[in-house]
Amino acid sequence: MIDPFNIDFDNLKPEEFEHILPELFATGEGKVSKDPRLHKFLAANPDCAALVSDLEAIAEAARNLLEPVAVEPSEQVWLNIQSRLHEETKLNGHAKKSE
Amino acid sequence: MNCEGQWMTSAPPTRPNPGLFQRNPPIAGEAEAIAAAKLGDADAFAKLYNLHKRRVYTLCLRMLGNVSAAEDMTQNAFLHLFRKIGSFRGDSAFSTWLHRLTVNLVLMQLRKKGLNLVSLEETVNPSDEDTPKRDFGSRDPVLSGSLDRVALERAVATLPPGYRMVFVLHDVEGYEHNEIATLLDCSVGNSKSQLHKARLKLRELLCHPERAIQSPLISESVK
Repeated sequence: MIDPFNIDFDNLKPEEFEHILPELFATGEGKVSKDPRLHKFLAANPDCAALVSDLEAIAEAARNLLEPVAVEPSEQVWLNIQSRLHEETKLNGHAKKSE
Repeated sequence: MNCEGQWMTSAPPTRPNPGLFQRNPPIAGEAEAIAAAKLGDADAFAKLYNLHKRRVYTLCLRMLGNVSAAEDMTQNAFLHLFRKIGSFRGDSAFSTWLHRLTVNLVLMQLRKKGLNLVSLEETVNPSDEDTPKRDFGSRDPVLSGSLDRVALERAVATLPPGYRMVFVLHDVEGYEHNEIATLLDCSVGNSKSQLHKARLKLRELLCHPERAIQSPLISESVK
């Protein structure tokens, strides 16, 4: 078990790196590649560096998905909403009258 | 039903989430429409629907991965909005409030259907077949060039529901892990772990697109 608060970054093994990577991403504002504690390790472990680079690219690209896709709900959705609201308004009106 | 209640009553995040607010600037005419809709003005409500339908629908589509379910949920969200708009106090942007209301409705429905969104077992049991496998003894295929939106949308749509939910909430929508943990009723560590696995799975899918199973979201939403 790796203690995340007591990591020897100078002697980190790839398996240990994989284990702490979720926490590194969560605490490093998503920029693990810029973490100075990891420069030496990433330079010596190109697979790990490639993994970090790819995961950062995925997170970065995900931000661009925020804008809605170029599709809308079908017209039927609004028709259904109008119909339901009409029914509810009528029911509420009846309820108020009977009070 | 009080979907937004979870947000109103739960402890606020440890730090504010500037992303959600910065991404939701005021829309011209929205404030007037909200005020009129609170008084029951049908035209004002129609305006709010037209202003926000794409955003709500896109969110539902991404979270549910299914066009029909997303349309039903969009309908549900706006009906709920109509009934609850009187409780909107303007503490946050209207779109942020509506967004959270929608997320809570989606999660509520998924729970009703018995979908375990984030399984603790999944975190501690590495034998889960959906968990991306990593082998540092062999060279991984790496992503080449920039990621295009269509490819990423396609990959996200094929993620297992639990991974997709955490990825969409965190990486796309800008929620913090503590917010996701509250929403999904899981630990912060679990949320971090699920997000990491989701990204690993996406990397695998993007490097090997042939492994992705076709989803209705792909053909109908990604154009």
